[in-house]
Amino acid sequence: MKLSALIRKELGRIRADKRSLILLFSIPIILIVIFGLTTGGSTTKFFNAAIISRDEIPTYGDYTSNSSEYDEEFAGVFIKGLGSFGFQGYYPCPNEAAFLYAYEKNMELLRTEVIDVFLVLPEYFSEKIENETTNWIAYFVDGSDSQAISAIEVSMQEPISVFKQEIEMTENLTVLIPYLEFDVPFWEKQTINYAFPLTIPLIIIGTTMNLSCLSIVSDEPLPRMVITPTPKSSIILSKLIANLLIMVIQAGEIFIGTALFGLYVLGSLFELLLVLLGVGVAGVAIGLFVSSLTTTEQQANQLYIILFVVIMLFSGIYINPDDLPTAMQLIVYMFPLSHAIPLIYNITFKGLPLDYVRYFGLLILSAVYIFLAYIIFLIKKVEV
Amino acid sequence: MRKIEEQNSNEVVVDVQNLNVSFGEAHIIHDVSFQVKKGEIIGLFGISGAGKTTIIRVLTCQIKSKNWTGKVLVTDLTPEKKKNHQKILSRIGYVPQLELLNLYFELSPLINIETFASNYGMKKEEAQKVAEELFTILDIAEDTWTNALKKLSGGEKKRVSMAIGLIHSPDVLFLDEPTTGVDANKRYDILNYLKKLNRRLGTTMFVITHDLEAALVCDKTAILREGKLLAFDTPQNLIQTLPSKGLLARLTIEDLTEEMIEIIQEYEHCEKISRVGVSEVEIFLNNFEKNLNYFIDYLLEKNIKIVSMSRDVANFRRFFQILIQEQEEMERKEEKEKENIGRERREGRAIEDEREIEENNAANE
Repeated sequence: MKLSALIRKELGRIRADKRSLILLFSIPIILIVIFGLTTGGSTTKFFNAAIISRDEIPTYGDYTSNSSEYDEEFAGVFIKGLGSFGFQGYYPCPNEAAFLYAYEKNMELLRTEVIDVFLVLPEYFSEKIENETTNWIAYFVDGSDSQAISAIEVSMQEPISVFKQEIEMTENLTVLIPYLEFDVPFWEKQTINYAFPLTIPLIIIGTTMNLSCLSIVSDEPLPRMVITPTPKSSIILSKLIANLLIMVIQAGEIFIGTALFGLYVLGSLFELLLVLLGVGVAGVAIGLFVSSLTTTEQQANQLYIILFVVIMLFSGIYINPDDLPTAMQLIVYMFPLSHAIPLIYNITFKGLPLDYVRYFGLLILSAVYIFLAYIIFLIKKVEV
Repeated sequence: MRKIEEQNSNEVVVDVQNLNVSFGEAHIIHDVSFQVKKGEIIGLFGISGAGKTTIIRVLTCQIKSKNWTGKVLVTDLTPEKKKNHQKILSRIGYVPQLELLNLYFELSPLINIETFASNYGMKKEEAQKVAEELFTILDIAEDTWTNALKKLSGGEKKRVSMAIGLIHSPDVLFLDEPTTGVDANKRYDILNYLKKLNRRLGTTMFVITHDLEAALVCDKTAILREGKLLAFDTPQNLIQTLPSKGLLARLTIEDLTEEMIEIIQEYEHCEKISRVGVSEVEIFLNNFEKNLNYFIDYLLEKNIKIVSMSRDVANFRRFFQILIQEQEEMERKEEKEKENIGRERREGRAIEDEREIEENNAANE
């Protein structure tokens, strides 16, 4: 009875503050919409490409056929038009001198940013396809743009897939980069989906921390509440439950929002939702911890920002925890995203089942923050 | 709810004996003792820093027992033991000075009441029933019960806050400065509501305030200064301790000056004089009835022109001022005496030192 009335009160307070309520539910959606619209296409960039073919060099020996037609077919894929690539030119090289000339010319085009990438088809390219042996393509890219490198790596899958489809090729075609085994398929919204494992939990943890970080510190009648028989544990529990209820709605909203923008999940959607809810629980727990630790709303807001930045930095995206000394690793693993992001990666890209050990680790971490919040609230001087 | 028949019983609800409160080196409360009986309204008066809030904090289990000594019983339970805290807190009510510390402004009066009532284990329906009764006594209009509190006036908020304090029919209701920040008219309204609630429900009330008008509704008043209890009795009894049982002459004097006040003070039967306005003084005389006429003759003799004169009985405000003044004078005297003793000692020591030097010099020679 006590607890349900306190929860009703907490929910009533949140509901009564219309402006905060609107922000609470609109900000995640606004963030997703902005993110989705700005990164909405298959890739963030459109690349200009040129193709040099050494397949035209006459060959003898190992290969019985020298049809020399698949290189042109490959170039044709570019000429017909692709989602990610524009076509600058095709340079068939019947001898070594022609290749050297084409190579130098394309390097210059790359340097002057007329093209973003040029591909080199090797000798025996067509023969290997005919003989159904493993083939490869090399490409040269402007290494000064690190974002372009990874974007081109991703985008390269598109012409290769189209080419393989057109010639009904079944064997592997190696690009001289590691073959992207667990990538987001080119027909999915790649950039947005590559970013989701970081952005979704960040949005959830940010909004849920924001939800609960003022719940104790802004509760002005709280000292009065303490002069009633209600134990402090009930007070903090009611705040936790009320915030968790709101969090479930927020996390669900974010989940649906991202799905509408083309969320790619190889594994179980339900398990992904479970992880996102786990992140939400962690956000609420850290928010409560912030709220119990601070004495003014300003302090709470400042600590919220600081912790949010630390959580982001220690998410495992910017710094690989395994590269850090053991003591630093312990600190990194005290923050929830270092557990949540690998879980999300495994479910979305690799289609792995939920790693329950790690998941419960995340929940236990949240429980630790809640426990700390409770202990601090117990010893906090609260008087009328 | 308890009814009026319980009022004025001899049952002691709050018993404080030799209470001392210290925080580290600071000794805040010094040997305070008083008793509150069931159904009484007790006013604890004092200027800021007197220690009123500290006493309430001890009684409401907000100060750790390591910080205080003495015998304290609230509804027969001592706040010294932590296991008693929940029981004590379930038997007392508290109305803080500021409504924002007691009310969720974004919620309605009824939701506020239900929330606090649930803290005492009351069911929603029961809480609503008691709330309706309290709101009726406190004249809180029914159409405001479900509106957000922020839409209510200051006076209405104050009354809702009082209703919250009383929702669980406490044995004692503690009110912290109930009239602070309220305009003069509403101040009397609030005091009247307190009396009304006390009469209708028989609730014992413990009011801490520096608003001396609150004494009008108090059965007993306690005056506190710098942590010491200077007086504790009914306002009437306290006033009776003044010269001539509180009878005074209020004079309006033409061109009143400080010299004139000194001349009046020199009159042999003048016990006390207080300036209460630009040209008004209140004078307490020894054996008032007998000496009043002689006193007027004395004034005429001294060329002090009386514009008007009335006789009256001192009120609690005057008693409070006189008591505090006396206390201050006494403290000043004590300080002076201490200073004198110190100076004498220092001088004595200096003379002794001089004598010793002279004796040493003489011995050397």
